[in-house]
Amino acid sequence: MSADIHTLVGPYALDAVDDLERAAFERHLRECEPCRLEVDELRETAARLADGAWSVPPPRLRENVMAEIANTRQIPGRPPEVAAPGRATTSRRRWLVAAAAVVVAATGAGTAVYAVQDQRVRHEQALAESARASEARVRSVLAAPDLVVREQPLKSGGRVTVATSSLLDAGVIMLAADGAPATGRVYQLWTIRAGAPASAGALTAGQSAIVQIVDGLPDSSAVGVTVEPAPGSAAPTAPLDALVQIT
Amino acid sequence: MAERGTNRRPDHLTPVPDPAPDVGALLSAVARGDEQAFGRLYDLVATRVYGLIRRVLRDPAQAEEVTQEVMVEVWRSAAQFDSGRGSATGWIFMISHRRAVDRARAAQASTDRDARVGAASIDTPYDSVADEVTGRLERQQVRHCLDELTELQREVVNLAYYQGYSYPQVSEVLGTPLGTVKTRMRDGLIRLRDCMSTGVAA
Repeated sequence: MSADIHTLVGPYALDAVDDLERAAFERHLRECEPCRLEVDELRETAARLADGAWSVPPPRLRENVMAEIANTRQIPGRPPEVAAPGRATTSRRRWLVAAAAVVVAATGAGTAVYAVQDQRVRHEQALAESARASEARVRSVLAAPDLVVREQPLKSGGRVTVATSSLLDAGVIMLAADGAPATGRVYQLWTIRAGAPASAGALTAGQSAIVQIVDGLPDSSAVGVTVEPAPGSAAPTAPLDALVQIT
Repeated sequence: MAERGTNRRPDHLTPVPDPAPDVGALLSAVARGDEQAFGRLYDLVATRVYGLIRRVLRDPAQAEEVTQEVMVEVWRSAAQFDSGRGSATGWIFMISHRRAVDRARAAQASTDRDARVGAASIDTPYDSVADEVTGRLERQQVRHCLDELTELQREVVNLAYYQGYSYPQVSEVLGTPLGTVKTRMRDGLIRLRDCMSTGVAA
């Protein structure tokens, strides 16, 4: 995977990857010092392109920003570098955490596409609310220093990404299918422990993407995805659409 | 080295002898809670931050909102900036670009964004001539370096950076295979890096 994932260096530097790829790529960066140097340089180059875009903001914006920062607490600085070796640096975490926020936001948006158009606004509001609620937990897991990210394609098209942290004894399953299953069928996630599958949640009809937090996920041996009759099954009844080995 | 016309800096355009502190120094002052330093930092970067976000989002009202979020984020997390990984301005623009792209993608899901290829022309209603001499020179350099790319490199970089497209979207818009798009993004950036580093030395 790492030889392949590094081909994303250009798209990553241009913010042209999706959130799952970003999480996987950032995992790759943690383990590859030369890659990190290349990425830093290319990101810096990409940032210089901002010099090519120039527009004077309305004067009130300065006042608004100054007023808001006067009431905004700052995040304390990075702790001195006495941290245990191998710990992810703050900056790398920062990117990963940012990625997590996007995962949640993007999932919400992706789902909204399939929502009834008339109710779009109300739908998006509801999604934004639930996204905010789970975002903090997703962030904390994806920012874990010992995060391991694995990914498999779905036979039906799309991908499933599983990120686990033994330290937090939790994991995140991110499903991004190319489309929703046929009418009357839904995607369902399974954790497999000692050979026995347990449901980790079914998507609703028409839903093709989800970000799911699963406590104790590192203890499972694998995560499976199936397409089940709506609204989901007690045990898998369909062949695996994808299987991600954890151990 | 600067034999190309675009790199020439006519005397009358030489920026005011730099009384402006650099962004890095201001950012460390901001990290210590210095609001005044933040105000000066704002003045140094706001046109580019807003310009970039507006170019990606196209909608001035949304751009204003996202610019405010970005600047407040810069204030909040100034102490988290890691100078070992890049410049302070680069860090600010990365946050800006990222936020703009996030917003654009969210919007893409529900609205039909205009998918015109190439740079959108954007008016600058608050543009004031006097304070933008340096900016013009910088823009000239970016344009010059973009011109040095192959057409495909320029297109993929433009679509991704200025329009917020993901590489599969770029591939679709240009009818170019995914692998080629990824490669051109990388070698395009490498060429830009080389061009910009020679230009900066001037």
